[in-house]
Amino acid sequence: MAPQVKLRQVDEYRWEIPREGKMRTRGLIFASQKMISKIQEDQSLQQVANVATLPGIEGASLAMPDIHWGYGFPIGGVAAFNLEEGVVSPGGVGYDINCGVRLLRTNLQRPEVEPSIEELVNTLFRNIPSGLGSRRKDLKLSVPTLHEVMRYGAAWAVKNGYGDKDDLAHIEAQGQISGADPELVSDFAKDRGKDQLGTLGSGNHFVEVGYVLDLYDDDLAYKLGLFRDQITVIVHTGSRGLGHQVCDDYIKVMLKAAQKYGIELPDRQLCCAPLSSPEGKQYLAAMAAAANFAFANRQMITHWVRESCQQVLQMGPKDLGLELVYDVAHNIAKIEEHRVNGKTKKLCVHRKGATRAFPPGHPETPAAYQKTGQPVLIPGDMGRYSFVLVGTEQALTETFGSTCHGAGREMSRHAAMKVAKGRNIVRELAAQGIVVRGAGRGTIDEEISEAYKDVEEVVEVAHGAGISKKVAKLKPLGVIKG
Amino acid sequence: MTTAPGGSRKAKYRQLPHTADLGLRIWGATREELFENAGAALAAVLTDRRRLRLQKTEKIMVEAPDLEALLVAWLNHLLYLYDVDAFLGREYQILALTPQRLSAQARGETYDPERHVARTAVKAATYHHLEIVNLNGGWQATVILDL
Repeated sequence: MAPQVKLRQVDEYRWEIPREGKMRTRGLIFASQKMISKIQEDQSLQQVANVATLPGIEGASLAMPDIHWGYGFPIGGVAAFNLEEGVVSPGGVGYDINCGVRLLRTNLQRPEVEPSIEELVNTLFRNIPSGLGSRRKDLKLSVPTLHEVMRYGAAWAVKNGYGDKDDLAHIEAQGQISGADPELVSDFAKDRGKDQLGTLGSGNHFVEVGYVLDLYDDDLAYKLGLFRDQITVIVHTGSRGLGHQVCDDYIKVMLKAAQKYGIELPDRQLCCAPLSSPEGKQYLAAMAAAANFAFANRQMITHWVRESCQQVLQMGPKDLGLELVYDVAHNIAKIEEHRVNGKTKKLCVHRKGATRAFPPGHPETPAAYQKTGQPVLIPGDMGRYSFVLVGTEQALTETFGSTCHGAGREMSRHAAMKVAKGRNIVRELAAQGIVVRGAGRGTIDEEISEAYKDVEEVVEVAHGAGISKKVAKLKPLGVIKG
Repeated sequence: MTTAPGGSRKAKYRQLPHTADLGLRIWGATREELFENAGAALAAVLTDRRRLRLQKTEKIMVEAPDLEALLVAWLNHLLYLYDVDAFLGREYQILALTPQRLSAQARGETYDPERHVARTAVKAATYHHLEIVNLNGGWQATVILDL
């Protein structure tokens, strides 16, 4: 049913959509032979081509190996625009602004936690509101406080007792995107955000206790503080209703702006405004505010993860050693400096379902990882495994320092429910040694492993193409799902 | 027109599979009915609508540049009400509708995880492949939800 988009194989891991028609640049997709036929089944390649028509695009319209059909921009899409003629598009970031992942390491080995995993999962489930429309009854923010959260992000959380100062050095952009302006966030968005800070939400969001199953590079793993059998925790969530509302509000603004500035749109969801226009600047400032809300959200959840572990394992913070390895955003637009045709240029890089992957020595790579490259966290589905990688020079030159973000769905939720029908997924996972608690059975069924691509295949492409480097593989022991 | 499975009654809506997200196809004899059925279709994604009681009435007013955008705005406003007040409507009534503006009331109740079924969370209704067409004298809409 999908219209055929011309595709040319470049090498083992690269596929090109040649520039044609209204495209201003080519499309470049990172995928294996096996994945590309699956990708061709839906309309994601057309979406890569559509993004290539937008004004001011620099380099190629890129897609990471976990590409799948989104709305407007494909999921797994990366597109960079120059500040002079280029555009910014809320649809190129997505509704869940700064949806992202953070990884915590511990001083503990698997046998120390395994006997208490069920209790730990139950405690996490109690302490972190999850599920459809989850909200905190104990924490309703006033508007001035909400403004502070949106201005200072994770730093607000730390200042208010949720976590340590040291955490901030281990978060993308130190957990605070500059230029955030809460005044440009609507009252509707603030209404939605006021009791959702510190909640997981639903869908594919989760907190996962796992362990290091395998190391691919002992030296890099050592420098990231990872070792075999070590207990780890992953937090995956975003900016909740506040972010969704900011996106929706600014899509409305951009539908008008695109008309005003004469930008031709192959799909309304691609609506955008010039980066130099008031509308473009306002969106970036509102997006930054929502992104900071998300950083604060993950920081607070981290605090409750620490408390839950202390409570269940009866250990102090020093013995637990629950330290932040890193926190990355995978739905965001960032103003960054990149080399284009030998010249350094400021660009607005959209990453929608893509992770930043900066190399060793890059000024934005945090001090702790100057020698290793920025950690990249790739969560898989709840039954299989997740990966830790690091950014590379190759990523910086080829993908504006970007790589994949996850497994990517392979099955619609309907199909997943059908596959799960009559099965007890929770029991099946328990038999594999994975304890799962979810707010609704529906979410767990929709999120079964079979519904996702094997994240290992995605990571192999990113590693093989050189846009990131494998460090460790993590296996889940206990998961709370929204 | 598609009919409801097993019956001759006209279907109000149908869910369309989409790899990462979910599509809704909605029908109505009039545009008003189309919008009412769209509200019901969205509620049915979030929960089992039949278990909702008619305890509360929400008045709603939404504006948009055109009829298609109005449909998205309407659905996103219902999501807003759900996020803020945990309100879920069982019945929707469009009181007035122009291509740029609607007023409506939704009757339903506050979502209670003890009594209600949590189905699929929806982030937003999107403009991707958004369409409202006149079909055999009735109306058909297609809208994709971001989950």
